[in-house]
This record gives sequence, C-alpha cells and structure tokens, in this order.
Amino acid sequence: MMEKILVVARKEVLENLRSARYWGLVALFVLFYVASTYAIGFAIRGFGATLAGRQRVVLQLSTNVVNAFAYIAPLLGIALGFGAVAAEREKGTIRLVLSRPIYRDDLLNGKLIAAVVLIVAALALSTLIAVPLAVALQGVNVTAEDFARLLLLLAPALLLALAYYSISLFTSVNASRSSHALMVSLVLWIFFTFVLPIVASLIAFHVLGPPPAITFRPNATRPFQPGQEPAQLREYFQKYSQIVRTVQLASPNARFQELSSALFATRQQTGAYEELSKVLSSHWIDVAVLAAYIAAFLLLSYIFFLRRQETR
Amino acid sequence: MRTMVEHAIETEGLVKVYRGRGGEVRALDGVDLRVPRGVLFGLFGPNGSGKTTLISVLIGLQLPTSGSARVLGFDSVRESLEIRRRVGVLPENYGFYEHMTARENLEYLGRLDGMPARELKRRVSEVLELVGLKEWADAKVKGFSRGMTQRLALAQALLKDPELLLLDEPTLGLDPQSVALFKGLMEELVKQGKTILVSTHLLQELGHICTHAALIRRGRILAQGSLQELSKAYREARGYGYEISVAAGAEELVRELRGIEGVTYVALENDVIRVRARQDVTEQLSSIASKYRVRSLVPLAPSWDELYRFYQGERE
Repeated sequence: MMEKILVVARKEVLENLRSARYWGLVALFVLFYVASTYAIGFAIRGFGATLAGRQRVVLQLSTNVVNAFAYIAPLLGIALGFGAVAAEREKGTIRLVLSRPIYRDDLLNGKLIAAVVLIVAALALSTLIAVPLAVALQGVNVTAEDFARLLLLLAPALLLALAYYSISLFTSVNASRSSHALMVSLVLWIFFTFVLPIVASLIAFHVLGPPPAITFRPNATRPFQPGQEPAQLREYFQKYSQIVRTVQLASPNARFQELSSALFATRQQTGAYEELSKVLSSHWIDVAVLAAYIAAFLLLSYIFFLRRQETR
Repeated sequence: MRTMVEHAIETEGLVKVYRGRGGEVRALDGVDLRVPRGVLFGLFGPNGSGKTTLISVLIGLQLPTSGSARVLGFDSVRESLEIRRRVGVLPENYGFYEHMTARENLEYLGRLDGMPARELKRRVSEVLELVGLKEWADAKVKGFSRGMTQRLALAQALLKDPELLLLDEPTLGLDPQSVALFKGLMEELVKQGKTILVSTHLLQELGHICTHAALIRRGRILAQGSLQELSKAYREARGYGYEISVAAGAEELVRELRGIEGVTYVALENDVIRVRARQDVTEQLSSIASKYRVRSLVPLAPSWDELYRFYQGERE
C-alpha cells in the first residue's frame, strides 16, 4: 500500500508546486526573512565587532528570523491543510478517488508526506535565498556556525508548520467547505499569534500590578547598562515572564519561539552557541507540546475521516 | 471471500438511515436487488429516491444501517476494496483536478487503481479515444465543457476495463450528441460481456437501451426484472395493446376483430387499427389478419415511464 501513498504524495507535491498559492507563500517567506535581516545591518554598524557586539548581532538576527518564521510557518501549514480534504469534497474529486481501491488512511498519509516535503522545501529555499541576500545586501557577517544554526531552526519551524497543518487537516476533514476549514484555522492562528500573548500580558499585569517605580539619574541617556537593572525591577520582570510563559504553555507559537530562541542562545564568556544537547534537555517541553499538537490532531483527523461517510 | 454468482449485484434488505437534527431519513428502506450478469440494467427513479445512496453503499463509500450487499460475489462492507478493484464507477457530483490535464487526471486515478505504468499509458490513450477526447488529452480540465467533463468521467470509469460499471446519472445535462455517444458506448460494452448498472431519472432518455431494470421510489424497489417480465404484470392489469397497419379492407377487419373474445376496444384511424384486449390475443389477431392486406401487426410494449407509473400506483 506504500505505493498508493507515494502516488498521492507525488500528485499533491506536483499540484502545489504548480500553484500560485504555494509560491506566493515562499515569496512572502523570503520577503519577511530579508526584511528581518535588514535591521541587522544597523545592529552591525551600531555594536561593532566586539564580543558583546557579536552577541547583540546574533540576538537580533535570531529574534528577527524567529519572528518571521513564527508568522509564516503556521500560514504555510494552514495553506497546505485547509483544503486537503474539504476542497476535494467540494470539487467532487474525493468521490473519484475513494471509488478506487485505496484505504482512506493511505490518502491522508500521502497528503501528510507531501506536506512535509513542501514545508521543508519552502523553509529551506527561503533560508538559502535570504541568507546570501542578507550577506550581499546588508553586509551581515554570517559564520558557518551561524548558518548551521539557521538551518537547525528549520526543525522547530517544521514542527510549528506541521502543528498548524494537523489542526487545519482536522478542520478540513470535518468541513464540507474548504472556506470553513480555512476560517477556523485562521481564527486559531490569530488566537495563538495575537490574542493569547495580549491575554497573557494582561493576566501578568493583573497579578503583579504595575512595575516598580525607578528613579533615574538626572541627564542620563540610558536608565542603566544592560545587566545592571535594579534587582527589584529584574525580579518583577522575571515573575512577569513566568506568568506569561505559563499562560502560553499550550501555545504552539510560544513553544516554537522558546525553542528557537534557545537555539541561538550564546555563552556569556565565549560567545559560542549553547550545545544542542543542552538546548534540547532544557527545552524538551517545547518539543513535546509541538509534537503533541501534531500527534493529537493527526490522530483525530484519521479517526474522523475513517468514520465519515461521504454522502455528497 | 468471493463466491461465483449469477448476479453481478445482490442486495438483501438493505437499509440506510441518515440521522440528523431534522430527524431520520430512510434513504434505503429494505432494498432487495438482483442485477444479472452481462446486461444493461436501469435503476430508474426520481431524484431523491435512493439511487445515489445505493451506489455509494455498493462500493463501500457508505455503510448500510442494516442488510447486506454483494457485488461480483464480494461483501460491500468487509470486501469493499476488492469491489473497487473490479468496478468502474461514474459517481454523481464528481469533479476532476482542474489544473491537471485530462491525461494527468486519468494517470493519477489509474495509479490509484494499481495499474502498471506501461499498461496505464496505453489504456489512457485508448479510453480517451473511445470517448472522443483524444485531441484534448493534454488540455487542462479547467477549460472543459460539461459534455467533455462527463466523457472524461466515463473514461475514468472504463480505465481499468472493469467487469461491472456503475453509472450514476451519466447523461445528466448532456447535449444530444454526447447522449448518443454514451448510449452507443454502453450498448457496445454490454455486447463485450460487461454488466452495466445505470441509474437515472430520465427514463425516456435511457430506458429504451436497458433490457432489465429496477424501479425505485423513496428507498424501496417497486419492481424489477426484464422489460418482458415487468410488462407482463402491466398487461395483465391494464390489458394488451396492438397496432395493426392495414393496406385495404380496414373496416371489415375492424368488425371481425370486435368479435374476438376478450377484445375491449377497437378503433380505426388513418389505416391504423388500435386494439386493446383483456388477455393475450396475439394468435387470434394473427390468424384473422392473415386474411387481409396487413402491413404490420405490432404488440404494444409499455414504456418504462408507463411501467413506473403503473408500479408506483400498485404500491401506493
């Protein structure tokens, strides 16, 4: 039956590679990526080539790229998932396909394989286009190690995109119209991307109250140097972050950002990246949450699709 | 397990109930259907009578609420994959991948049928030629007219050269030229030994090419069998009809025909005598007609439309 899965996967990949929607998303990805590296040019000029300067550049690079991925990867997953079954149902192609000797789970397996291939291709392609562009246009000094970390970022981005693909696939399996599946998926994306972070902040402010008042020196251009914040303020924002993190524990976006940021964490003394094993051991919960989304929604999609009777 | 049977399709007490917020709908209500092998079998009934549901249940797209169905000897629930391996289906409300060409669509569906690559390539060209789409093989389906799409749908059903074809409303919305092509193809396929079940509400359009039929209404089979078998009950209830075309001596013949026992009605109009009788009087008519200059003597067969109305009246 593997043969039929690959037949479906091949057709899905080819169909998407011919679609304007897929290439539009890849273009949007590259655009976001390049735009996010634009600001790094300023960072390089501002911080210079010192160790602290490099750490700042890496921090800015990672923040910008991770943010770009956090917005676009879910949209890529949704774009591939919302029509996977509902559009076939809408167009009537599902009746021709299911009147063939194919198991329904093979159809979903084929679509899943195609989604993985298309997501990896889009992520890799945008990285391979945007990074050299950033080097050429912005003079960003990307070392081999930086580039390796940027490539490693594709793994959590794939998990995030697949989490949204699974959610969209589930809505697609249960919707008779692809527009309904798209709407539900986008509402979830908006909730996790825009609404939940605001809600989390509001909860934190509600619990902690306003930040402590700080007295500044007269004529000071900066309130304090980095790392020299008053203990009172540091403690406040630590608690604030903890509450925000707890509220967003089940958010795939937040888990992706935590995991991805950890990939770019550098050691204070040497400026070298943290070891991968250390990153994974301290952020296993992020991987687990993203994997749980994928597993749960895929499982539900299979169960509902196998049980559903195509009456239209 | 497959058992060799004389019927291509056999159902027993097939029931399909849809449960929704609006209550229960019995789409199939105890269907007992027998479709002999090697015939063009019509499944006739109005929209919403259960034809599409029945076809969906036969190929395992939907599960029956109760009852059973065997297609080519395979159980429709436990062995639906084996059924779909051997049956070509033209479903209602189907669609193609519009950004793919006719050939690409067929190749994809053929691969899902499990056809070997070389055979598939040959067969795709064959069926496209058969349905008159050879010149459009590499055109995207997006630009196809309704008639062309329907021809392509027939092509996909024929792709694996199936033993049995299930065609759901195949001529719906087609121009007369495409209808003629469909009818010709169906008759040709039956001659080759295939079994075809064609469901339609357009009895006048497809009725005359079907040798057997089942008349379905509100999920129940009103009657089924060959045209002769179904006509028999009709004639016994409504009487036998004949048309005699006469070259000369029509009035004298009319007088003589009125004397035959069982004849209830005789009328002459433009050298054509219409006769109705309570029983079969073919032999008596032939014997009397032989004494006159008769051009033709034709026993009138009821149309599928008349049969449908008759059996509907019988049941309701």
